[in-house]
Amino acid sequence: MIKEYPLSEYLNKFIELDNEHKNHTNIAFLSSFTINGLSETVQVKCNEKKIYCDTYTGGYNQFSQEILNLKSKLYNFSPNLTFLILDLRSVLGDLFFFPYSYTEKEKKELINSKLNELFEIITFFVKNSNSKLVLTNFNSPSYSSYGIASMKSNFNLKDMVLYMNKKLQEFSINQNSIFIFDFDAFVSKFGEKNVFNYQNYFFGDIKIDLDYIPYFANELIPYIIAQLGISKKCIVLDLDNTLWGGTVGEDGFDGIKLGPQLPGNTYLEFQKNLKALKNRGIILAINSKNNFNDAIQVINEHPNMILRKEDFSSIMINWNNKVSNMYEIAQELNIGLDSIVFFDDDPVNTLHELPEFSMFEITDEDSKRSEMYAQQQIRKEFEISTPNLEDLLRNLSLELTIKKSNNFTNPRISQLILKTNQFNLTTKRYTAEDILNFTNDENIIVGCAQVKDKFGDHGITGVFIIKKLNSSEWFLDTFLLSCRIIGREIEKGILNYIINEAKKNGIKIIKSQYVRTEKNTPIQDFLPNCGFKQINNFWEYDLNNAFNMPDFIKIEIE
Amino acid sequence: MSKKLYEIVAKIMKVSFSEINDNSGPKTIPSWTSFNGYVLLHELVNHYNVQFTIDEAMDVEKISDIKRHLKNHGVNLDD
Repeated sequence: MIKEYPLSEYLNKFIELDNEHKNHTNIAFLSSFTINGLSETVQVKCNEKKIYCDTYTGGYNQFSQEILNLKSKLYNFSPNLTFLILDLRSVLGDLFFFPYSYTEKEKKELINSKLNELFEIITFFVKNSNSKLVLTNFNSPSYSSYGIASMKSNFNLKDMVLYMNKKLQEFSINQNSIFIFDFDAFVSKFGEKNVFNYQNYFFGDIKIDLDYIPYFANELIPYIIAQLGISKKCIVLDLDNTLWGGTVGEDGFDGIKLGPQLPGNTYLEFQKNLKALKNRGIILAINSKNNFNDAIQVINEHPNMILRKEDFSSIMINWNNKVSNMYEIAQELNIGLDSIVFFDDDPVNTLHELPEFSMFEITDEDSKRSEMYAQQQIRKEFEISTPNLEDLLRNLSLELTIKKSNNFTNPRISQLILKTNQFNLTTKRYTAEDILNFTNDENIIVGCAQVKDKFGDHGITGVFIIKKLNSSEWFLDTFLLSCRIIGREIEKGILNYIINEAKKNGIKIIKSQYVRTEKNTPIQDFLPNCGFKQINNFWEYDLNNAFNMPDFIKIEIE
Repeated sequence: MSKKLYEIVAKIMKVSFSEINDNSGPKTIPSWTSFNGYVLLHELVNHYNVQFTIDEAMDVEKISDIKRHLKNHGVNLDD
């Protein structure tokens, strides 16, 4: 585990923060006890990750009042993400100290009533703000006035906490804006006697020891990364002393350390964790200075290897400079270098400490990502054997399905909007809440496109947002494609759909804008190439003109 | 002189070392809030490996009080 600096270090660093980073977010902290020092620590930690965050800390135990008053400082601050940090003593009141004075039925009724009150407050907040809300669950205290007899009691304090945590989970599971922070797991990880001490508690109602505020702040960072949609996509791995112990070039196939005995078991564990990340959609790649044949033999044939060749979406095993290999990997996978984490050595105790891969939700596209990249490899081989572009596209059997935004497609739409940089017309970033609001707005059309070809399903890889300006004009506010399907003229298929819809609605002009960024040059010619004419700062498409839709794309509308 | 103690106070209260003397406390240093006062005690506990009682913590009004309590816990401040 990474040893933390004391809180005082963060309070000092906080004064010297340079808040010049492009990723900006507003974070609110509400709590039932003293959490001084937390917002400063989170800001310092965000700054280290090149995130600029403004914070707001609510008044001591004033969370209900602040949430229920729409004119409070909380709403004025307009948070993107709000942490509501509650403790068991505050929520349970007397029930915390005298749980055995009540029958099981009474206890359940009391708990349900307190939780329902809490849920009403939370529901009010998410309805009236654009913020995601992260609510802490409760840790189970080790002390019981019943001592060893408590385990013989029905619905003891531990049972009550389990019951409450389950209720919190059930409440949040189908809500797009509400998430649970597992405070119980946090306390288990660091120890109740460390996180909570009575001196802190009596002195200032401090229920997280000052030494553990930095650790707690660490655990909140993944939510901030997920909210900003800047999680990493790919882990690039060295081989020697990373996926196995020793060097295959010197120790040989049989001499490397990889198996059930120490130190081979540490590498085995590391590979299992990597495999789990790969299964949830993180791309794996290799960047190693080695003889290709030596290394690939281990990957293909070593009996204890967990990861095999098909688990890696890009393999660079050569004697080239590792930096240039890294550029090639990024190019091959069509992702930015800032989406990559490189692991070189020291595999133990590292994966679990990485907040960079945090996402609020794992979409279908995430889970299938490695499979999709494997299909991409086959496509590439096919492209090489089909040198004419039109022949290639014709032979790909491209199928485009236009879908409306709904509860099923919204998480992916939001993910693409937050993450797509290259083929993105305006790079406007909208949160899942924004998308939900747009979906419910009759003057806005939000749609997405699923793409398939003869090699497999790319999933939802295109998004568009249209704002209806008046009875004769629409504005194409957002138009983007995932980098993995660029170059297949899919964009023309989507635009063709939009044009047809516009015609059906009596629209004469579709307006749009190209907003240049450092990364979106691949889309800079899209509007003129599709027949849009530049008029002042906008591009306009006259619907009297015929649109050349490629005939090799089959379009379905859901 | 208690140089190290003064350094810790200056760091926690975010004031310059030269502003610190034995009479410094919440009345003379605006940043000496109740929370920063608690952070200071926490830092001293970690640095000098002592445990203050709640009475001792409540008693602190200026640095000379901290010095008295630290000496009672056997800490030598003649650095």
